[in-house]
Amino acid sequence: MRSEPKIAIQGVSRSFGAVAALARVDIAIAPGEFVCIVGPSGCGKTTLLRILAGLETPSTGQVAITREDSARPLNTMIFQESSIFPWMTVRQNVGYGLRLRGIRAAEIAERIAPLLELTGLARFADAFPYQLSGGMKQRVSVARAFANDPELLLMDEPFAALDEQNKALLQEELLRLWSATRKTVVFITHSIDEALVLGDRVLVMSARPGRIKADIDVPFPRPRSVVELKQDPDYVRLNHDIWLLLRDEVRPAA
Amino acid sequence: MSDKPPQIVLIRPAPAEAALHLSPALLAVASPILLLLGWEAVVRLEWLDSRFFPAPSDVLVALWQMLLAGVLLEHSFWTVQRVLIGFVLGAVPGALLGLVMGLSPWIRAFLKPAIAAVYPIPKVALLPLIMMIFGLGEPSKWVIVGIAVFFQLLLSTLAGVLNIDRIYLDVARNLNATRLQAYASVALPGALPTIFAGCQLGLGMALIVVVIAENFGTSAGLGYLVWRSWQVFEVTDMYVGLMMIALLGYLFQLAMGWLERRLLRWKPAATAMKGTP
Repeated sequence: MRSEPKIAIQGVSRSFGAVAALARVDIAIAPGEFVCIVGPSGCGKTTLLRILAGLETPSTGQVAITREDSARPLNTMIFQESSIFPWMTVRQNVGYGLRLRGIRAAEIAERIAPLLELTGLARFADAFPYQLSGGMKQRVSVARAFANDPELLLMDEPFAALDEQNKALLQEELLRLWSATRKTVVFITHSIDEALVLGDRVLVMSARPGRIKADIDVPFPRPRSVVELKQDPDYVRLNHDIWLLLRDEVRPAA
Repeated sequence: MSDKPPQIVLIRPAPAEAALHLSPALLAVASPILLLLGWEAVVRLEWLDSRFFPAPSDVLVALWQMLLAGVLLEHSFWTVQRVLIGFVLGAVPGALLGLVMGLSPWIRAFLKPAIAAVYPIPKVALLPLIMMIFGLGEPSKWVIVGIAVFFQLLLSTLAGVLNIDRIYLDVARNLNATRLQAYASVALPGALPTIFAGCQLGLGMALIVVVIAENFGTSAGLGYLVWRSWQVFEVTDMYVGLMMIALLGYLFQLAMGWLERRLLRWKPAATAMKGTP
């Protein structure tokens, strides 16, 4: 399966002035794979994601992404903080990527309707973001990214600011949406739980300058239940293993 | 431990707020009315010289007569026309340049020093130069108003764009927005609240400038009314002119506030209120 990578990150590093954010990173990601990257804060994981998104350039090395369909956008990013436009309604926000591509209004409405339904946003379709809770706002972000239908989803701690209950709900919704589309996903998080619940594979990053410290396969079958999975003894063991790996990295930084 | 008995702290509903049932709208009308009443009283009691400070009631009578004669509306019409034409002439290029400077660091770096140098010149001081170039007629009035409004809109739009959270531009970039799309979907709507603030300031500035410009080469306009009344010592007429200018300023603010509420529905009500008079 991993013979033909979707994303090949080769020797990528990045520094900002004198500060090295990323030290040589090599990763190969297969098509349709859900990869989670965990690491201590400030380890350069967001920088890596921004490089994949084309919002930042590497200082050395290169990233090769295989594009299958030139009619679809290559990647769409979901940001950590609220990134939906306050001046657009939920509907306009979700359809934004499609509108930029010049798709007709009627077709946009048709394409986003099931997404609004799936994310529970249908009732709020004409509301403005200030009228929504934090969880609803992130649902809009997720729906906007899926509506754009990219080959690659890049997620930067999208649920970090949510309370535990909302987080679990959104994780399940994300898994449902993902299993229907099987997009390649790179998901950044600082939560080991989140990485294990969502990912096929967990990459553990070191403290700054970030490099890949461990590459762990997540063996749990899908579909997964976010709440049930956490009772699994294998889950608990894996969680502990990753915690031990991370603990060494957090200590010098603290 | 003290030997005082324990005290009970009671937390209860606030005393009936219904007693203070003054609406903000009512309060807003109260201050000008109180001012006028006080003024009237002070003049009637002859604490103020009515040659310089005619009683508001006398001013209102004069205003009513000028209104019936049609003169007042004609003066107002000319002033409003000059303000509106000049405003559009200045606001549109001002806001457009503000957007471009806001999104392009290069153009910003290139133009900012020149603008910073020209901006502090009182626009009224440019009037003689403008009348030399455009003559004494209407165009010079449009141009001086336009210049004043241009800078106000340029600077407020620029500040508005620079204030937009970077993440919105990242989203547009990540979704492959073209430059024009980024202007239309992010920079303009994101800067709109500050653009409105700039419009409010710009309209105030336009009134100041037009009143001064109407001292020259015209025999119509509220500014002309004030200057001529001064020359012939018709103090009451002068106050009529001043009152009309104040009223116009107020109406402009009302219109702006109305437009702002329509266009900024995405703002929570509390912040949208700030812009309303």
